[in-house]
Amino acid sequence: MVKVVRVMEINYLDWNNAISVLDKAYKIGLFALIIGPKGTGKTTLVRKFASQLGKELYSVNFSLRTRESHLIGTKTLDRGQISFVEGILVKSMRDGGLLYLDELNAAEADVLLRLDEALDDRRQLILKEAEGQIIRANHDWSVIATINPLSHVGTKELPPQLLSRFPIRLRLDYPPEEIELEIVRRHTEVDQSKVNDIGRAIKLAKNLREAAAVEELYYSPSLRESIAFAKLLNAGSSAKEAAEIVYANAYDQWGEVEYQKVKDMITSIFGD
Amino acid sequence: MCASSVPLGLSSTSLRNDILLDIATFLSRRWSNNNRAIVILTKDKMPFVRIDKNQIMLPVLNYYLGTHFQQYRQWRVALWFESMRMYFSTKVMSYDHAFGFLLNTLETKRIEILGLQNWEGMVKELIFNEGMSWLSRPLLNSVYGNNKIIEAFSQYFLTGYLKGELFGNDFEKVRKASDYATEIVHDAIKNDYSTDWIERHIPNLVKMLGIDALTSIPIVAPITRVRGLGMNQNDLVKQIEKIVRRKIKATDIDETSREIIEGSDLLEEFETLLKESKRTENKGYESLENLGLSVPETMDIDPSPVYDADLIRRLKAKFRDWRTAWIERHEEAGEEFDPESYVETLPKNFLTDLRLSIKTKVAILLDHSSSIEQGELEYKRATVALCEALDYLSINFTVYAFSTESRQVKCWIIKPPNLKWSVSGSRRLAQIRASGGTPLAEIYGLLLPTTKSFKPEIMITLTDGEPSDFDAVREMVLSYRKMGIHMVALGLGRNLNDAISIGHNLKYLSYERSLAVSRLEDIPKKVISLLHN
Repeated sequence: MVKVVRVMEINYLDWNNAISVLDKAYKIGLFALIIGPKGTGKTTLVRKFASQLGKELYSVNFSLRTRESHLIGTKTLDRGQISFVEGILVKSMRDGGLLYLDELNAAEADVLLRLDEALDDRRQLILKEAEGQIIRANHDWSVIATINPLSHVGTKELPPQLLSRFPIRLRLDYPPEEIELEIVRRHTEVDQSKVNDIGRAIKLAKNLREAAAVEELYYSPSLRESIAFAKLLNAGSSAKEAAEIVYANAYDQWGEVEYQKVKDMITSIFGD
Repeated sequence: MCASSVPLGLSSTSLRNDILLDIATFLSRRWSNNNRAIVILTKDKMPFVRIDKNQIMLPVLNYYLGTHFQQYRQWRVALWFESMRMYFSTKVMSYDHAFGFLLNTLETKRIEILGLQNWEGMVKELIFNEGMSWLSRPLLNSVYGNNKIIEAFSQYFLTGYLKGELFGNDFEKVRKASDYATEIVHDAIKNDYSTDWIERHIPNLVKMLGIDALTSIPIVAPITRVRGLGMNQNDLVKQIEKIVRRKIKATDIDETSREIIEGSDLLEEFETLLKESKRTENKGYESLENLGLSVPETMDIDPSPVYDADLIRRLKAKFRDWRTAWIERHEEAGEEFDPESYVETLPKNFLTDLRLSIKTKVAILLDHSSSIEQGELEYKRATVALCEALDYLSINFTVYAFSTESRQVKCWIIKPPNLKWSVSGSRRLAQIRASGGTPLAEIYGLLLPTTKSFKPEIMITLTDGEPSDFDAVREMVLSYRKMGIHMVALGLGRNLNDAISIGHNLKYLSYERSLAVSRLEDIPKKVISLLHN
């Protein structure tokens, strides 16, 4: 759940100049929030940004099960000695790293409260867990968070006071169809003869996303699916077959009718 | 597999209209890229779209010729065409005069070409549809006068050939007009012109055909409703082979035609819908008919009058914090307000997840006796809003209503427990007329078996008056309570005094709680806060 990501080459197509906004936010010392549905490349964007800065990325992926202790730290017993193992929030503050809070709006209220303390203008944290030690953030410390739209399972609205800690807000939606094709190209080889089929798959994905946005379907396919589709084509699948495997089959879990709805979209988009 | 044998085995059961509407709504919204599109089923009327109202009118399946599966395929193509019209056209005129008929015919061609650019997979289905509709088109020899010219034009322009004979001068006229129309359509597509541009050329077309723009066109429905008559499998095969030869550069005409006639891409979808129809019949409400419950069946009802979007929006906004788990507070008095320091003074900044606490199963019974008639529309709007809100809060609920029809008490199922709340629920409610008395005990009796299987934790009865059978009701209420169901009554009054007296009366019926409202639009709020408590 909590991990420190090492800097490495990351493949991200910055189609809406998000990196320059993040860069400005970093330079003026403000925290940024990226809002967008899953699979739009939010995490890749942040990783790319961190690698450009040459900074270490401390990332937390929030869920209902993320506890305060993941952020702050816990006491442990080591060879008869009680010691305090710092959590990722404390570590990133000390080291002046880039803290990445992924899916922040999936976190529980008590976790958010604790985070709120560190994010306010004082940028400090009182560790009640470690004899009231005060942690002051390194001046280089920066935070980027992402949230999913409320239609996603397990998400809640971010409380207003926490929202206000992130005055730089970026919307990252699914890219236009031609950009999506470009992103697919960056991840896998796209033969000219397959461009048409991939274009249709992207159109299908767009349709399914729209249906999910108005809650007519329960799942919204991400960019990952488009990439997987292209890879399957390269592995020799036919377009229709690949579309069924990548897109339609997932909907079977909500019943056969849901599955057939998506299959009908595939039937009407893909000719022979 | 023999082409003709594919669907026949399936034709014993038919598709339920609500299942059809569900998939039609989904498909039309995706195809037309319009999330507000509504599909309305009407008997015996040709497909039509009302662009300004986002409505697509479609006939029921047996409007079309052939087996059930063939009917479904034609119906789906009609849905596609009307969705394309919704997407590409700015105007659709009436088909009953020559001018409108011609404009719509040209538009049909234009949207077909444009639509296929996006929905390439429809090609085979369109060929199948053309083959089927060819069989149901009138023979030109049986049509006379201007109508003959117009029908001939429509056949020749859309398909490239004629059914029957057209002689000398008439044929020349139709051929020239068709060439002209084709040119117009291609120009429109090339230059991205829309319906209005095409409309400007219709007078020329009218002149070329030598007819009057206002000539009335008889509605041409498929030639026969008697299934089987006029429909021969060999004719279909021949017709489809002919179209395939003309339209597709297929290497193997026989094979392609066979595939088109079989329609195996859609067979599975059709079978699933059939299975689903059967499933809802068994587990949903059809079987309940044996228990004396009825399903409002009419599907050509526009649910928009009972769908008060404003009220629903307000209601959802009111209960938003139940879903989002934080609450907005507004200070109305005091010094200059600093939100940060205010938030710090609060003992608890965040709410715990309220939505998790409403795991209750709820059954709702709506009184539709004649006394409701006065405020019927408002009452229906409030109850639809209530259902929308319950659905929004992911509460498991079921809704029944009772009224009297032809002197017989009916208990209607508005929303069965196993189906998601959808527009068909509003349709069902919209068609129930308020009439008759309030035989509550009888209704509770009818509902007993279903309620036993659904096992709601709360049963809420919305009524506006005294039941006709006081003692019996008391007994029934007690027997429900013995099953562990919390029985609650909500009295509906016309004004405050009325509400108070109704609330008072209800107290004597041994309900666990009885409440009353004097404004109908308060119903949803009242019910939901009741559930929360």
